[in-house]
Amino acid sequence: MKRIVILVCCLLFLLLNAAYAQDASTTIDQTIADIFEQWSAESEEVPDYQTFYEELEFLAENPINLNHTSREELSKMLFLSDVQVENILAYLYQYGPMENIYELQLIDGLDMTDIRRMLPFVMVKKEKAVSEKIYRYDVLNYGKNELYMMFNRDAETRQGYQASFSSIGDSTNQGKKYAGSPLYHSAKYRFHFKDRILAGMTFEKDAGESFFGSAHKGYDSYSGYLQINRLGIFKTIVLGDFRANFGQGLVMKSDFSMGKSSYVLNVVSRNEGLKKFSSTDEYNFFRGGGATIRLPRNWETSVFYSNKMIDADTVGGVFSSIYKTGYHRTENELNKKHTICQQVAGGNISWRLLWLQTGITFVHTNFDQVLVPEKTTYNRFYFSGKAQSTAGWNYRVHWQKLNLFGEAAVTGNFHPALLSGFTLSPLSLVNLVAVYRYYSPEYDTFYALALSETSRTNNESGLYLGAEINPAKKWKISAYADSYRFPWPKYGIDAPSAGKDYLFQTDFSAHRRLSMFWRFRHSNKPANISQENSVMPVVKAVKKNSLRYQLMYSQGNFSFRTAAEGNMVQKGENADYTYGLTAYQDLTYEFSSLPLKLDFRYQFFDAVAYENRLYAYEKDVLYAFSIPMYYGIGSRYYLNLKYELNRQFTLWFKIAQTVYADDREEISSGNEKILGNKITDVKFLLRFNF
Amino acid sequence: MKKMLCLLLIASTVSQIFPQISSIIPVSSSIAGTSVANTGLRSEFQNPAMLGYAKNSEIGMQHENRYALSELSTNSFQALLSTSAINADLSFSYFGYSLYHEMMAGLGFGRNFSDKFALGVRFNYYMAYFSASNSYRGALLPQIGLSYRFSSLFSLGFSTFNPFQTNIKTDFTQKRIPSIFSLGTEYYFSPDLVWLAQIDREISSNYRLATGFEYQMLQQVSLKLGAYDAGYLVPCGGCGLKWNRFLLDINCELHPLLGLNSYAGLRYIFSR
Repeated sequence: MKRIVILVCCLLFLLLNAAYAQDASTTIDQTIADIFEQWSAESEEVPDYQTFYEELEFLAENPINLNHTSREELSKMLFLSDVQVENILAYLYQYGPMENIYELQLIDGLDMTDIRRMLPFVMVKKEKAVSEKIYRYDVLNYGKNELYMMFNRDAETRQGYQASFSSIGDSTNQGKKYAGSPLYHSAKYRFHFKDRILAGMTFEKDAGESFFGSAHKGYDSYSGYLQINRLGIFKTIVLGDFRANFGQGLVMKSDFSMGKSSYVLNVVSRNEGLKKFSSTDEYNFFRGGGATIRLPRNWETSVFYSNKMIDADTVGGVFSSIYKTGYHRTENELNKKHTICQQVAGGNISWRLLWLQTGITFVHTNFDQVLVPEKTTYNRFYFSGKAQSTAGWNYRVHWQKLNLFGEAAVTGNFHPALLSGFTLSPLSLVNLVAVYRYYSPEYDTFYALALSETSRTNNESGLYLGAEINPAKKWKISAYADSYRFPWPKYGIDAPSAGKDYLFQTDFSAHRRLSMFWRFRHSNKPANISQENSVMPVVKAVKKNSLRYQLMYSQGNFSFRTAAEGNMVQKGENADYTYGLTAYQDLTYEFSSLPLKLDFRYQFFDAVAYENRLYAYEKDVLYAFSIPMYYGIGSRYYLNLKYELNRQFTLWFKIAQTVYADDREEISSGNEKILGNKITDVKFLLRFNF
Repeated sequence: MKKMLCLLLIASTVSQIFPQISSIIPVSSSIAGTSVANTGLRSEFQNPAMLGYAKNSEIGMQHENRYALSELSTNSFQALLSTSAINADLSFSYFGYSLYHEMMAGLGFGRNFSDKFALGVRFNYYMAYFSASNSYRGALLPQIGLSYRFSSLFSLGFSTFNPFQTNIKTDFTQKRIPSIFSLGTEYYFSPDLVWLAQIDREISSNYRLATGFEYQMLQQVSLKLGAYDAGYLVPCGGCGLKWNRFLLDINCELHPLLGLNSYAGLRYIFSR
């Protein structure tokens, strides 16, 4: 009853206050969320949205001056393809500095959607910004400080909280119950002075982890960083927690992967170099220091060193796998915490010209205990030992309308990996990309994250072809075809196998306020299928066809989104098809008279079989991004609001509920089990600028 | 008693065959129940956003009969008040007979935003009589609606009824109240001919696909033709008559198994 009353009040308030006349300004966070949604739309794992958001938000605060830019700088706009970046540079080279931002329309390969997305992140200025000296007075007086406090919890009680956690070593609870409260909490402090000095700290306590008690003294996770840019000969200096990305990701990429998405041309790795780590991820970062130094004659070198404790289940100086979730809620999880010391040292040396970029990357990892994976067929070639070295050579060549790129890498035991491809723009309306990849089954390195079908960059070869065509004004066609082969069994696939993946998308932008797309995807993936009368699982093709339609419309302070997606799956050649369907309606309203923005969604889903599970992006509080999985029959709705109390304080609040209608009496399993058919999630975020 | 048992049997059969056409929501005056995007006609307990398009106040009543059984009838009433700020309506419906009946009263609000889109919300209070416990039980069921016009020819409508899946529990039984997601379109081939299409999904039932045409043959007479599929294909037909400020809508549909379902609605439109 209470939620109905809340909804009633919100909707009535909305209806009565709607001052229609003013176009809704597309806010930067909405633009970033839209870009990320398209970028991650077809992936089942949500990439690190916090880092993605922070980078683009930072870019919005420090826009790129198009008249004095570089490939490296333009590549920070992840939604632009390699071809588009080259076209911008070619235009500037050919016609000189831009007079105004409208000239973007004259550049080949940029449609109105691209330009609209670029606008918050670019500017046109004649004069070049000079790199000034950093004075302490300026840093103290003009630096910007931000503090974030986030809280999140489920309204329902999960099984893990039913009985209290007494103490570690108590045999009665068998390590099954959670040590702490169901409240998730994180605190972040950020400081930046222009784009020269960046510093911050992050503290986090996951739901189920204790704050003060036998298991924890304070937060479970602490993180901090300092990054200084353009200081003397140093291009970048990082201290504390940081990430490193070099080449095409065959040796070192700890950021987001440029994988398969509806941005079909964006498979070329970018965002190179060392940079701060400010996310709440508890595994995927380095802890130590590093620097990038500019050398004469267009040479550049980066070196870094990391020393951090990681989680693993150790027995007698041996561990079988690294525990990456960052959860320390139960006795079992706490026993794995910070048991291994991992040291990483590496570097890169590059030579950059306008038409050529080439470099060598090296990384060495050392553990204080021995990694010995539990041997099964699929992980026969996984790395085992205490130390591993990997090196790679990468290149990029720009010639006319052709860009060649690639990387070749080898591990210490001389097992190779290769990725090579090109992008080509034969006509201004047509852009093409082709990428060949070969990762040997024995090539297994810790920080590789290159284009691949699975999350692991090994045991795969394949060819990816993509095209983006603008056949008529307002229309865009994007498509890719990816054919791949696993020469050795993979997890969940007990034999060498092959698969394919196709995507076809048509976008139509009628005008600034109305756009829509149709997206068809076909995948044919190998998988183990258990059958009656068979002792061993049989590997068969799982065929999945999915079709999505989405319509975006804005009018005044309102914006709407209507989407429907259906899929059909066949497990094996003669099996029956199973079906899944979801549809939702979004409504966003930004008040004119109040600094308040509301998002509301109602969605239903119907995917009885797990193979038909559906994913749909939903709006969230700042720095959070949800792509929940829908499986079963039910509905979901949420209310998300942002309120700017004053110039200093902004708060976000979200309440979301999923109600299953398939007569289930419990949701999830184990310690995460909830009795009933409802799950409610409440989030609160406060930002303080000073 | 025998008659009562027969009625109960038929009612339960009907509810099994048409789980998605819940008796608690009166059928709309649009052909084949395609009301969610129909900007021209307003019906009780349908998409509340459509209230926003009403330019005049109006009152109306309707009678729906299922399969020539008077006990399976729904009577409803609606009064709509049009103001410059917001339009509001008050609706009431009654279904059933003495041993079993359901009532629903609704207060709705809708607003049209410069003919570009409309938003609406309705708060329904539903009440059913349970003879086993000789008592009434009720629940508040919200309804949310939205309609957007991309041009003067094409519009899209969305509505949801009972989005929170509220049900009624008694000591003896639980009555499941439908939770419905509806999405539809309206396209004007010409000012006289409109094509309507709609998909409904009651959360625990099959999909209902409906489509139909409404043709304004004369200024006073319109004809309707359509069909919907919800397990069975049900053809639908109807006509509309206009006389001064009175509008009369007559629809019928022929279920291949159960027979004829008929509907008549009368509305009076006030001058501004």
